[in-house]
Amino acid sequence: MKRIIFTNPTAQKIYDDYFARVSRGISILPATDQRELLMELNSHVYEATHRGITGNEVDILVDVLDQLGAPEMVLQPAVAYKKVQQAGRSFNPKHILQALYLNIANGAGFFIIGIIYLLILAFGSLAIIKFISPGHTGLFLQNGRLFVFGYTSNLPEGLTELLGNWFIAVVILLMGVFYFLNTLLFRLLKKK
Amino acid sequence: MYYLCVMNTEFVQNWFSQVKKGTLSYIILVILERKEYYGYELVQEIKTHTSLEVAEGTLYPLLNRLKTEGIINSKWVEQESGIPRKYYTLTGSGRATLAEMKGIWLALAAAINKIEK
Repeated sequence: MKRIIFTNPTAQKIYDDYFARVSRGISILPATDQRELLMELNSHVYEATHRGITGNEVDILVDVLDQLGAPEMVLQPAVAYKKVQQAGRSFNPKHILQALYLNIANGAGFFIIGIIYLLILAFGSLAIIKFISPGHTGLFLQNGRLFVFGYTSNLPEGLTELLGNWFIAVVILLMGVFYFLNTLLFRLLKKK
Repeated sequence: MYYLCVMNTEFVQNWFSQVKKGTLSYIILVILERKEYYGYELVQEIKTHTSLEVAEGTLYPLLNRLKTEGIINSKWVEQESGIPRKYYTLTGSGRATLAEMKGIWLALAAAINKIEK
């Protein structure tokens, strides 16, 4: 992006500060999207400040930036939307979590996705815990009824563990199923 | 007995805010139907023809979204200043979408007029 040069140092500082805020606000986006948004806003500021009106450079610039809006407010929907697109394309959990955070206002759908992600994390943790504490982790039955699926420090008499090392395979399978469901739900919400 | 009836300003403002959000895409498409515009020029055109007081910066995310949907297209055109302009045009799909939206808009207006009579 070609920087606009102002003759007034105060105007230059205001301009640089504004675009530093824009850059910070969109730093979460892929480089190409960042460049596109920066160029768009820069073009707007250039056209608005060079439309032939006379007056103090600082006043003109402040007025233009005021009408453009605070970057944090103005760009939030764009950042959230682009992050959803990126997450939908890449399936990368990091991008999905960032998109969730940015779209938390989008309501219950994303809340459910968040809960399912927590479940996926919990299942992943159980697979590790099974290695560390195999005797306390698994699918436990007591008198033919489900006692616990997961980790328990309490091992009363008559407790039977059903799965053994298959427990790890089951939790990994559950992680896969929930991950698939989440991605499906995510794509449905994206289409809205 | 007389009652003094006062307009609920807050309710009207909230309603207008919703209307603005809902119609901005339509307004952009109607303007772009005539010719291509670059970003700043398009923003000014919207402001000239409507009383919508929106932060100008919010229009760019909306334009990007319309582009992602395949409704509009954009191209950067280099300028002597070294700062290019981004020109927006309607795509074929955008024209078809706009025609459909116009039909919906007219039907809605007709329905409201009918109710009001």
